[in-house]
Amino acid sequence: MDAAERALLDASVQTAVADAVARDVPVDPVLARLGWPAMLSDEPEAAVAAVFGALGRTGARSGALDDLCAHALGFAPRPDLAVVLPAFGGWAPPGTVTAGTVRVAGLGTARAATATDLLVATDAGPVVVPVGAGTVTPIGGVDPAGGFHAVRAEWPGVTPTPDDGRAWAAAVALGQRAVGHEVAGAARTVVDQARDHARTRIQFGRPIAAFQAVRHHLADAFVAVEGLEAALDAAAVAGTPVTAALAKAAAGRAARSVVDHCRQVLGGIGFTTDHPFHRHWTRLLVLEGLLGTPEALLTDLGRGWIAAGGVPTLVDL
Amino acid sequence: MDLARYRAALRAWLDADADADTVADTGAAPTAADDLNRRVVRTRRILGRLWAADLGRWGWPERAGGLGGSPLLRAELGATLVARDLADPGVLAMIEVLAPTVIEAAPADRAAEWVPRLCSGAEVWCQGFSEPATGSDLAALTCRATPVGGDPATASAFVVRGQKVWTSLAQYADRCVLLARTGPPEARHRAITAFLVDMDDPGITVAPIEMVNGAREFAEVFFDDVVVPADRVLGARDGGWDLAMRILPYERSTCFWHRIAYLEQRCTRLAAAAPADDRAALALGEAVGAVHTLRARSRATLHRLAAGETLGPETSVDKLLVAAAELATFDAARALLPGTVELADDPVAAVWRREYLYSRAVTVYGGTAEIQRNIVARRLLDLGPEG
Repeated sequence: MDAAERALLDASVQTAVADAVARDVPVDPVLARLGWPAMLSDEPEAAVAAVFGALGRTGARSGALDDLCAHALGFAPRPDLAVVLPAFGGWAPPGTVTAGTVRVAGLGTARAATATDLLVATDAGPVVVPVGAGTVTPIGGVDPAGGFHAVRAEWPGVTPTPDDGRAWAAAVALGQRAVGHEVAGAARTVVDQARDHARTRIQFGRPIAAFQAVRHHLADAFVAVEGLEAALDAAAVAGTPVTAALAKAAAGRAARSVVDHCRQVLGGIGFTTDHPFHRHWTRLLVLEGLLGTPEALLTDLGRGWIAAGGVPTLVDL
Repeated sequence: MDLARYRAALRAWLDADADADTVADTGAAPTAADDLNRRVVRTRRILGRLWAADLGRWGWPERAGGLGGSPLLRAELGATLVARDLADPGVLAMIEVLAPTVIEAAPADRAAEWVPRLCSGAEVWCQGFSEPATGSDLAALTCRATPVGGDPATASAFVVRGQKVWTSLAQYADRCVLLARTGPPEARHRAITAFLVDMDDPGITVAPIEMVNGAREFAEVFFDDVVVPADRVLGARDGGWDLAMRILPYERSTCFWHRIAYLEQRCTRLAAAAPADDRAALALGEAVGAVHTLRARSRATLHRLAAGETLGPETSVDKLLVAAAELATFDAARALLPGTVELADDPVAAVWRREYLYSRAVTVYGGTAEIQRNIVARRLLDLGPEG
């Protein structure tokens, strides 16, 4: 897919998702009509960037991450299959298997509310169990609109699909890149909001965008998003778990930077529910930790480099 | 020559190079001044040998003595040399900035004569832009070039009088790309002309400045009625500002790739020296993360350059990411090697101290971080005029 085709895909997904959000209808059927998740097999990079970028820009809730992880784990995605995500902040498989009984404690997306089955990654490989095997509890938290759930389950008599950990590592890497694109989309929206505010808010007889202190906040936010998008592209080019983890760490750092700079530019209105900024701010607080906080990811990577006594080249020219 | 083949050929040549051991870094030099001297000498030497072996000529146009091919080849060359401690990224940066300028602005026969001398390390050049009263506000420069006979259009020579400062490598330089005023000060950027001046011309005095880290990397350069022939004008008369602006893409592309190799090499040294605890792991992770984001961005910029795109204000993003990455790398050095920068006197500590102190200049040189943010705000975020 060339750049023009990707731009077309980005635009069509963005338009469709924004329309669904505006009409307050579920996003997943809209994505399905656009060819998701089938396009994961043909054009995974373009599909992930377009779909998760649009989810981030609009703040839509979706089960796209479930589809993505199922696909990476070798299971056919379907609308009634939810994937149990790792506990907040980490990326270890959420399940364990002891004597044929799987126990899982993790997170669910909006998909978990309507799914019939749960796909659980465990230390012994992935298993599918019925939703009735446990409890799926909506989480309010800082971002009730995010549709996240606490999932707990225990189910006997399972036989995990054998996995040496590579399938899970691939699922985590793809998931981290997806969440990274969602962060980038949300961050773009936030920068746009703060920029619009700076250009129209008049103080001392001029738009506050005329003041250097305000301009520099916006410039720093913009640079953070640009850096994140570059890291996401590099992760797609390299296709390695390390570059995916670094992209997710960059996403977490960018989320914080963009929110802090833009909230300051927005002033009082940035603390209200009158302005849409708050929806992206609270969503970004959650996305920052989903599949790894920056601190946890960078500590883990740093440990590996110290053990190896060096840092390899991560993406070639 | 494609990149993969070039990379393989270059590595094979360097691996087989019998002279490599004698020029590789064997630890810190006794003083900062010696260290800089050594880095300059070492860089010139390897460039000379690679030019003679043709590997240094790829990526430069054939009309300027090169063998053609993508600028990616030059990016790869410099990064490989820096990663192996065979070249200094600052010395390479001067070449990466000034050689393309001369190729664009000098008459073809002069470019074909000058560029190989610069790129082969036979000569060192410097860039005479900043002045005591002209830092970020470059268009206010006052160093004057007066046409002999009074008419700039017909003059056979110019007489240069004034002062430059923060001129990197001036004491090593054979030539200087100089910006001087050729009209009234109120004409600002419309009355500036660029010259290529020989540094051994009568009337030029170089006074190196000692930095906080002990090195004398830059200098004051005084011009006392220095006669510069008119055929040393680069570009159009009064067109010096355009030339300076055209340099910009070269300041933010291949030479950043070389700098990234330097930062990554330092991160690798840190990984080898760090204690195996989580605090150290996070400090290293933060540094590598910042450098990786820069690498990702710079990689995309280089591919745009190689595809023939004109680079513009978006490279201010790259510049700000360089600053973040370099600060993070040396912040990590202080965190991982407690007391090394501050209170150790062994040769290895001396290098970390020098480089830590120099790293704090990264938000100042080559356009301050504030100027970069101004550019991002005005040109990329379209925030309208300031004030």
